[in-house]
Amino acid sequence: MTKHRHTLDVVDLTIEIPNGMRLLRDVSLNLEPGEVRALVGESGAGKSMIGKAVLGILPSALKITSGEILMEGHNLGSLSPRARRAAVAETAALIPQDPLTALNPVRKIGPQITDPLVRIRGWSASEARKRALDLLDRVHIRAPERVMNSYPHELSGGMRQRVLIAAAFAPSPRLIVADEPTTALDVTVQKQILRLIRELQRETGTSVLFVTHDMGVVAKISQKVTVLFAGKVMEDAPTRDIFTDPGHPYTRALIAATPSHADPNRSFSPVPDSLIADLHRQIAQDDSLYRGARP
Amino acid sequence: MTMMEPLAAMTTETQPALFSVRDLRLSFPDMAHKPLFGAAPRIEVLKGISFDIPTGQITGIVGESGSGKSTAGRVLVRLLEPDAGEVLLDGRDIAHLGEEEITPLRRDLQMIFQDPMSSLNPRHTVGHIIATPMKRYGRGGTREDAAAALVKVGLPAEFVSRYPHQLSGGQRQRVGIARAIALEPRFILADEIVSGLDVSSQAQVLELLKTLAQDMGITVAFISHDLSVIRHLCDHVIVLDHGEIVEQGPVQAVFDHPQSEITRTLLAAIPRPELDDSWFD
Repeated sequence: MTKHRHTLDVVDLTIEIPNGMRLLRDVSLNLEPGEVRALVGESGAGKSMIGKAVLGILPSALKITSGEILMEGHNLGSLSPRARRAAVAETAALIPQDPLTALNPVRKIGPQITDPLVRIRGWSASEARKRALDLLDRVHIRAPERVMNSYPHELSGGMRQRVLIAAAFAPSPRLIVADEPTTALDVTVQKQILRLIRELQRETGTSVLFVTHDMGVVAKISQKVTVLFAGKVMEDAPTRDIFTDPGHPYTRALIAATPSHADPNRSFSPVPDSLIADLHRQIAQDDSLYRGARP
Repeated sequence: MTMMEPLAAMTTETQPALFSVRDLRLSFPDMAHKPLFGAAPRIEVLKGISFDIPTGQITGIVGESGSGKSTAGRVLVRLLEPDAGEVLLDGRDIAHLGEEEITPLRRDLQMIFQDPMSSLNPRHTVGHIIATPMKRYGRGGTREDAAAALVKVGLPAEFVSRYPHQLSGGQRQRVGIARAIALEPRFILADEIVSGLDVSSQAQVLELLKTLAQDMGITVAFISHDLSVIRHLCDHVIVLDHGEIVEQGPVQAVFDHPQSEITRTLLAAIPRPELDDSWFD
């Protein structure tokens, strides 16, 4: 183990489906304590899959065929499934994309936040409740008591997403995987939610792996960026460099594809087909099974 | 790669509006507060709004969730009937036309939906999805017609035999566009059609919509909560808040000199792809 311990190390991770087709290709990245790293790419690039692999919730058909995931220096692959689940639950939490499907519709909000605190952290019911109320207050929910007693359908989309942020931060995890947490929301609600994640993250020093397809969100929330295409890392750099001097043409194209109202003369244009074709060709050279994601 | 320019320069400002909407009111019953006996109280969704949709141009309708933007759009294509007010299409009030009178107009008033996964029938092939309304309105509807519509939206003709789940999100949204333009309508309502797409597909779909609208002379109302997209795509913009219009005008004027707090808030909420440490403040 190194002296400088990362919260998360993903080393040369490759994931395949049973026919041998690769979905992730030798992906490496790390997260330092208190750091937000954005994982950015288009649909199908594999960004959510990295988050799922880290949390050990990959669909059963997908296999990690090489590479390692180290959480606070511990190699998760060397642990038994039970020990791995315990280690992940101890260290990490998820903020999911869709707050409606992530919450159990027939249970009240309160127990959905407190259950893991009791089960995993071993807190008493009253300690857990106090923590839940505190966190709901911190995500600016005005009537935490009432929300604890509500069912998910009684809350708006923005409220539900706040509840999930509270639930994720409640056990004081050292790592949070945020999987497109604002994609389903309006811009004004998105800004509130991003602000909340940033506030809590700074206060608690939690590291965040932030999955998004929006370069605008990347610019605001992260300090480091991993740019993915077809399961392969195109660029890994500090956010500052990505926006001042992007190193990879695909990164430049993603930024150019993001509309900006401030500068209407800087028109936005799709990622050029020729660039996509080039990237597909490069990947196919190393992988005979690769056919390209899109026709 | 073609760049996006506003359409306004190419059309004459003197054309009459396709739609003139005057003092439009609409309310829904609030079933959550319905007494056991008697009528439910009403929620006012549109509180007497007036606006024009200029012919041959793209008008953006923007607002937060619950502002009434989708409801206003659905009145234009008469999926909803308003409580009061006028919806003049070429000067003829269609606000309260019965189904018999409105049916002949339906071909001219098409809609593209937000979520193509739920607006395209998963059991039908893409060809069937595009051809059925063409047959319904006597505009052909052969396999070749459907294939031609697919080619117009930049998809391969072979896609006629595919099913929606076999396509990517951007491709599905193109099928939604193909289904609408195959009928050669005069007006298309596009309701949050790129909200579910990633940036690259988003730029492609917007560019496609703009080019087709231009080439085919289709008037478009584009509903979105994203002012960046509106700025690049639209000629005019209407900003709604809680069922009232807080601002409307040419895109350039509204963006350069926003008059209402709502417009400024919506503008400030967009995370632009550039470093800005003060954005959260």
